[in-house]
Amino acid sequence: MSLDRIAQNQNPDGGWPYRHGASWTEPTAYAVLAFLAAGDATRAQRGIGWLKRMRRSDGGWPACAGVDESGWTTALVALVPPERLGWEEHRGAIRWLLGTTGEESNWVYRLREYLSGNAPPRDQSAPGWPWVPRAAAWVGPTSLALLALDREQARSGAPTKEIDERLNEGRRFLMNRMCRTGGWNHGSVNALGYPADAYPETTGMALAALRGAPPNQMEKPLGVALRFLASCRCADALNWLRLGLRAHQNLPAGYVAPAEIQFRTVPEMAVDALISAGGQGRSPFWVA
Amino acid sequence: MTPRCTRREWLGVTAGPLALVGCAKKPVVVTPSTVTIVRAPAYDQSLYGTVRDILQAHRVDVRGRSVVLKPNLVEFEPGSSINTNPLLVHAAYEAFREMGAARVRIAEGPGHRRNTLDLADAAGYFKIVPGFEDNFIDLNVDEATRVFPKQQLSRLEKLYLPNTVLGADLLVSMAKMKTHHWTGATLSMKNLFGVVPSGIYGWPKNVLHWAGIHECIADLHAALPGRFAIVDGVVGMEGNGPIQGVAKSVGVLVAGSDPIAVDATCCRIMHIDPFRVNYLRLAAGGDARLEEGNVKQAGESIAAVATPFHLIPESRGFRLEKS
Repeated sequence: MSLDRIAQNQNPDGGWPYRHGASWTEPTAYAVLAFLAAGDATRAQRGIGWLKRMRRSDGGWPACAGVDESGWTTALVALVPPERLGWEEHRGAIRWLLGTTGEESNWVYRLREYLSGNAPPRDQSAPGWPWVPRAAAWVGPTSLALLALDREQARSGAPTKEIDERLNEGRRFLMNRMCRTGGWNHGSVNALGYPADAYPETTGMALAALRGAPPNQMEKPLGVALRFLASCRCADALNWLRLGLRAHQNLPAGYVAPAEIQFRTVPEMAVDALISAGGQGRSPFWVA
Repeated sequence: MTPRCTRREWLGVTAGPLALVGCAKKPVVVTPSTVTIVRAPAYDQSLYGTVRDILQAHRVDVRGRSVVLKPNLVEFEPGSSINTNPLLVHAAYEAFREMGAARVRIAEGPGHRRNTLDLADAAGYFKIVPGFEDNFIDLNVDEATRVFPKQQLSRLEKLYLPNTVLGADLLVSMAKMKTHHWTGATLSMKNLFGVVPSGIYGWPKNVLHWAGIHECIADLHAALPGRFAIVDGVVGMEGNGPIQGVAKSVGVLVAGSDPIAVDATCCRIMHIDPFRVNYLRLAAGGDARLEEGNVKQAGESIAAVATPFHLIPESRGFRLEKS
């Protein structure tokens, strides 16, 4: 059902829009992954063609045509199997991810802060990934980059130290950004010293990226995720909560999504299709 | 109008003779902008007439033109005062249609949540605005064009902005009257952060913070001329705004075609000193346009409706000491 709707939304250029209009990298990458998971290589291939045309010379991907800078969607393209995307493109995406950190991890910024007498806050001790260069790292893009690098490490069969380091740092970044109540928001544990609340979407994303973390560290956020799931009101949150809970084998057995939730965008429909294609403990976002 | 030094310029004199020279050389003459303050005690049907009267009083000519209404949508809390009320937005929608606009659309790009339509649904927009989905544009994923700000105060050399906004003949910023822990107040100008596409810049739109919040607000103000502002002060937010604050009933709408004057007036209503809200001074190019005497008030006076908004300790530096 979702795949039919996604297919109807494909643009003549091979890419996908969020709902309608021009093609964007995020919906195209998710749609490609969904069609590949469903075994529809033909439709996926047209999407891959669009992705290849969007690739930038630095190895990354922009959010959409006309944007002259690579950004967070590079992690999603890196999830497309290299034998489909192309090895050179895949390696370029991984290199781009490895070379990208939040601006607060930049040594120039840190030196400036040091000279200003500002001690680096604890939540800036490990580098994560920004949405776009020259901005701070956040939970969303860090989670996506971790999923891509984790999959790469598992796929390659020959783990590299460089990827291992970024994975460890990224996981530390997420642990440092966990809200006091458990769970995650976009990445601000405090605002002016006032504790900030967690969101369902980002809690699910971070849990998915922290697959394999020690269970005693995940107890609190998993509890938060289960509470969010029970009151979930939107498809994006539902998708990521299911993925996050599955990553830790905590999705309630026989869970059925509330009928009133609407899957309005291509990413929402595609990720739902990807979840349906996997079982408990499995996901197209990681190698079991 | 008699050219004169402001209190601040006077204080500057004590810091050095240069300020005195500057003050004496350049008396600033400002053409007063009209800002209307209207009582609106509740979100009810009377808003429709109130908004229509405001727009007619300002002689907003939208015949044959395209209008984009930009509310402030932040969180899934329908019972709270965090989002611009949908009844007010629908009242503006109907008023512009009656005034002959060729097309009226509602558009927003929230900074925290990715599900704009779900957010709008939870905020009551689907229920209140007939055919909402057909008339709504999610600015976070609208097609965008690279622009180079006319005025560059921030570190942003370029910015991608949604075509829906760039192509509108009139952009109506329909902000909520709220305190803001970083900037003092979030009103019609800060509301422009919502036009910056998160599909490109992410959630939150952190690139704007790194480039300077105040400077970016001023740059966006310069990049998007052709605006009208209607601030929802029926129920605002005080305390730790713009998200974690509490409801504050004010019972007013504040409107005008000069967003700087509208926001400065809102600040005074909230007992926030507009001269201490840096983005207002940057956008205004100094203090003169912010002077109360340089804003022509219509409708209620500020004194008649002013009510101090609670400020968290970290924001008390924004407090208006005397009105």
